[in-house]
Amino acid sequence: MEYIILSLILLAIGIYGLVTKRNLLKVLMSIELIAAAASMNFVVFGSMIGDQLGQVFFILALSVDTAVTSVIIALVLIAYREHRIIDVWELSKLKKS
Amino acid sequence: MLTYEVVFAAALVISAFLALHLDETIYAIISFGAALTLLSGLYFLMDAPFAAVFQLIVTVGAVAVFFLASEMLTPKKGSSQKTRDKILGLLVASALAVVPIISDLHVEVFSNSHDYSFAMALWEYRALDVIAQSIVVLTLALGIVMVLRGKGGK
Repeated sequence: MEYIILSLILLAIGIYGLVTKRNLLKVLMSIELIAAAASMNFVVFGSMIGDQLGQVFFILALSVDTAVTSVIIALVLIAYREHRIIDVWELSKLKKS
Repeated sequence: MLTYEVVFAAALVISAFLALHLDETIYAIISFGAALTLLSGLYFLMDAPFAAVFQLIVTVGAVAVFFLASEMLTPKKGSSQKTRDKILGLLVASALAVVPIISDLHVEVFSNSHDYSFAMALWEYRALDVIAQSIVVLTLALGIVMVLRGKGGK
C-alpha cells in the first residue's frame, strides 16, 4: 500500500510538470515520471505475489515507454529545426497562424 | 524506523520534484537522473534485480539523450530563477517526501505465490508479448529514422 502512495506522489509530480511547464524537455521529463510511476506498480504487485511476472511486465512497459520517448524527442528536434522554438505555448500559437 | 527504502523513497520524491522545478536545464537533468537511479535502487531493495538493472540502463540512456538535447536546444543564458523560488521548491519537495518517511515502506508478500522464474515468465508465459513488442519497437525506430530523414532532406 505504501508503495502505491509513493507511485501516486510521483504521478502527481509528473502531472504538475505537465500542466505548469512550457519547455518541451520538461514536458518530456514529466511524461517519463508518469510512466515510471505507472510501471513501478508492476514491480510492486509482482513482488507482492512473489514471482517474476511483474518484472517481465515492467520490462515490456519500459521498453515501449523508451520507444515513445524517442518518438517525442524526434518531434522536439523537428519542431526546433523547423521553427526554432521548444516552448509548448509558442508551438500551439503556430496552429492558429 | 529509517530504513534504506524510506531514505531512497524520500530522496526519489525530492529529486523528481526538483527535476521539474529547477529552471537550469543541466541541474534539472542531473536531478532527473538521480530520481531514476534511486528508483532503480528501490527496485533492487524490492528484490527485483532484473527491473533494477533494466531501469538503470534506461536511465543512463535517457540522461545521455537529455544532455544532448538540452545542449542542442537550450539557449545559453544565465539563470533567471530566484533563490527564494529554489528554496520554496525544496520546501515543497521536502513536504512531499514526508509521506514516504512516515509510512513504513515494505512489500507484503501474499501466500498465493506462483513462483515463476524470470526466464520462465519471460519466455514461456509472455513470449508472444516479447515478440510482438520487439516488432512494435522496431517499427517505431524505423518510423523515427524516416521522419528525421524526411524532414532533413527538405
